[in-house]
Amino acid sequence: MAKQVLLNVFLGFMWMFLTTTYEPVAFVKGYIFGLLIIFVFRKFFDSRFYLYRVFSFIKLALIFIKELIMANIAVVKVVLKPKMDMTPGIFAYPTSLEKDWEITTLANLITLTPGTMVIDISEDKKILFVHAIDIKDAKAEIDGIKESFEKAIMEVSRT
Amino acid sequence: MKTSDLILQTATKLILFLIVLFSVYIFFAGHYTPGGGFVGGLLTSGAILLLLLAFDMKTVQTILPFNYLYMVALGLLFAIGTGAGALLFNTPFLTHAFGDIHVPVLGELHLHTATLFDLGVYLVVVGVTMSIIQTIGGDE
Repeated sequence: MAKQVLLNVFLGFMWMFLTTTYEPVAFVKGYIFGLLIIFVFRKFFDSRFYLYRVFSFIKLALIFIKELIMANIAVVKVVLKPKMDMTPGIFAYPTSLEKDWEITTLANLITLTPGTMVIDISEDKKILFVHAIDIKDAKAEIDGIKESFEKAIMEVSRT
Repeated sequence: MKTSDLILQTATKLILFLIVLFSVYIFFAGHYTPGGGFVGGLLTSGAILLLLLAFDMKTVQTILPFNYLYMVALGLLFAIGTGAGALLFNTPFLTHAFGDIHVPVLGELHLHTATLFDLGVYLVVVGVTMSIIQTIGGDE
């Protein structure tokens, strides 16, 4: 990915030198043409066309914002409820992510969306211990995290 | 004797993009300065030819899975399309129009439909050159 971005920036500068206009606009034009060229030759690289990765990162950010709003509304409901009928608890969440930064991102995302919180990570980095405000449906919680965050993170890290 | 094309292949990996970007520059320079669709197309096919020299035909076919005959047809369609488009506005065949259009980031752009005609020329030149080279170079 970094190689493609570097090449694209290089092509942007090259366009500036070719047209002898040293303005930001010329760089943007060259960058767009370079992007097109790299897209046409995308199979030439061993990694994916890097814009796909940028898109999946934006998707991850949007999923995060959506989950943040939804989960906060859920917490407001819990706080305002006159009856304290929730059952807090800790469940183990088995993750299939491997790289350290992926697990860190996942843990932060789980923590920042209220209702759940990562307490610890197992020695072999395979299991996250998550504290949930309402443990009753831990299975559904695991599936929810797997479907939204883990899938989106995998989409970003795939080469 | 089997030798490794390491230097040629590594150099091609960078130079290819420079040549293609230069061909795009030549293509767009056509209106006020030397250049245009023909030279731009030839430069692009020169870049693909460099790719063919450094790698084998099968690799290039997977990198650029184009049917060059369709490319020629598409280019001719562009040329006819821009010509026939003039008929819709009650002007003679091949009359071209232009206008200044403001694009958010890029600023004032002077757009001319002759560029689309040139794009047709570009596609035909790339298509014809590449089909000639592939036909002569192919085994079948």
